[in-house]
Amino acid sequence: RPWRVSHVSSGLLEMGIRGVTVSDVRGYGAQGGSTERYEGSEFSEDTFIAKVKMEIVVCKEQVEPVIDKIIEKARTGEIGDGKIFLIPVADVVRVRTGERGVHAERMIGGLSDKLPPVITIS
Amino acid sequence: QKRTPSAVTTNSTPPASSIYKYRLFRCAAPRTPSADHQPLPSRQATRRREHQVPPAAAAMLLTKPHPALTLPSASLPNPNLKAARVRPLASSAPHGRRGLRVSASSSSLAPAQAASAALNRVDVLSEALPFIQRFKGKTVVVKYGGAAMKSPELQASVIRDLVLLSCVGLRPVLVHGGGPEINSWLQRVGVEPQFRNGLRVTDALTMEVVEMVLVGKVNKQLVSLISLAGATAVGLCGKDARLLTARPSPDAAALGFVGEVTRVDPSVLHPIIASGHIPVIATVAADETGQAYNINADTAAGEIAAAIGAEKLLLITDVSGILADRDDPGSLVKEIDIAGVRRMVAEGKVGGGMIPKVGCCVRALAQGVHTASIIDGRVPHSLLLEILTDEGTGTMITG
Repeated sequence: RPWRVSHVSSGLLEMGIRGVTVSDVRGYGAQGGSTERYEGSEFSEDTFIAKVKMEIVVCKEQVEPVIDKIIEKARTGEIGDGKIFLIPVADVVRVRTGERGVHAERMIGGLSDKLPPVITIS
Repeated sequence: QKRTPSAVTTNSTPPASSIYKYRLFRCAAPRTPSADHQPLPSRQATRRREHQVPPAAAAMLLTKPHPALTLPSASLPNPNLKAARVRPLASSAPHGRRGLRVSASSSSLAPAQAASAALNRVDVLSEALPFIQRFKGKTVVVKYGGAAMKSPELQASVIRDLVLLSCVGLRPVLVHGGGPEINSWLQRVGVEPQFRNGLRVTDALTMEVVEMVLVGKVNKQLVSLISLAGATAVGLCGKDARLLTARPSPDAAALGFVGEVTRVDPSVLHPIIASGHIPVIATVAADETGQAYNINADTAAGEIAAAIGAEKLLLITDVSGILADRDDPGSLVKEIDIAGVRRMVAEGKVGGGMIPKVGCCVRALAQGVHTASIIDGRVPHSLLLEILTDEGTGTMITG
C-alpha cells in the first residue's frame, strides 16, 4: 500500500538493507470474491488500485530476514496487503566501478556488515 | 505519531508530604489537597515515561480534565477557551507575580490571582502549539455516540471542543449515531426495539423511523448546537450526493435493512470543508435501487475517514478504551499497533462490544488513516485531550 512504504523502508533501513527501488504501479488481485477496500469503497477485479512495487536485491542469506521484516511492517491483515515474489538474479553490476557479483551487491554499513561472515566451503 | 512523555512541568520531585514547589508559569493552579492525593491510576500505571513524575505533579499537567468540570463558562473571559484549561481559583489573598513558590499544604491553598490565571491560560495554549501545528489543515473524523450524546453537558462540551478544533485549523467531520433517540421514538410509534448481537433488527417501519430520527432530528440538533457554539455546520446523510452507498449486510435476512458501505463518494464534502463548515453526517444510505439502509456509524465513520484522507479517526464511546485486563480499569492500553490489537482480539482480551469498533479502526488504518483512537466520551474534553496533548485519552491504534 502506498502509504505504508515509508514504514516498510524505515524498517528495512533499521535492519541494514540500504538499497531499495520503489515504483508507483496500479494493480488488482482477485481474492476469491472478497473485495478490497480502498478509500472507503469496495473494489473487485475490474478496477486498478494504486499500489507500490518495491524491488530489493539481496544475497541469499538475507532473503528470509528481509521477507520477515517486510511482512512485519506492511501487514495490516486486510485484503490488499500485497505479495512478495522471490526472483533469482543472474548477476549484479555496479555501474560506477564495474564490480560484479557479491561485491556489487554488497553495501558498506549494510546488513552484510552486521551479520557474521558466511563461511564458504569450497 | 508516537506518543512521547510530555515535558515535566515541576522542577523538583516533591516528597510525599504536601509541600510542593512549582514554577508558577508552567504549572496549573493549585488544587484541593484531596485532588492532589488522588492520582489518576490509569495514566501512571501504563504511561511510559522517561523519568518518574510524581502522581500529584503529573496531575497538575494541564490536561487533566475532571476537577475543572464544574467551572462555569461565565468565568472565562474568552468564550473560546475551554474550561479544562483554566484551573479552579482559590479566592484567598493574592500573592503577586513575584511568588514562584506555590505551597499546597493541607491547611490553606496558595491563591493565584486573575493575572496569573490568565498567564496559565496562555501558557497552556502555547503548549498546545506543536500539536496545532502538526495537525493544522488536517482532517479529523469524529464519530459521536454513546453517553456523550445523552447528557446535555457532555454534548455541549463535545460540540465546543469540535468548534475549537475547527477554529485552530483542523478540519473536523462529525459522524453520529443515535440509538437511544431511535428507541424512544420507536416506542412512541408502538414498536418494540429489537437487537440481535448488538445490531438493530430493522424492518420497513423501523427503517422509516430510524431515517426520520437520525436524519431529521439528531442530525439537525447537532447542526444547531454547532451553530450556537459559533461555527457553521452542514447536515448530510449518506444519501446526499451519494456520499455513502449501501448494500445489505450478510445477515440482512435476520436483521432487515442494516447495511454495509459499498462505496463512498466524498466529493460533496470537499467544498463544504473548504468553505469552513463542519459536515455532520447521519449514516443512513441508499443502495442501488434507492432502498434505505441503516449503516453502523462506527463503520461508516471509518470508511468516510479513509475516503477523505483523514489524519485521525476518533470513536467516542462509553468506555475508557481498550483494557489489557478487563477487570483492571488501570490497565488501559494507551497506544498499540495493528498487529498488537489483532493479537489482543485473538487472545480474547477485547470485549464483545469493542471488537467491531476495533475492526473499523483497523480497516481505516489499512486504508491510509494515520491513527484511529477509541476515546471515552464520559470524560469532558476528551477530544481536546486526545488531539492536543501527548498523553491523550483512551486507546490510540497506529499503523
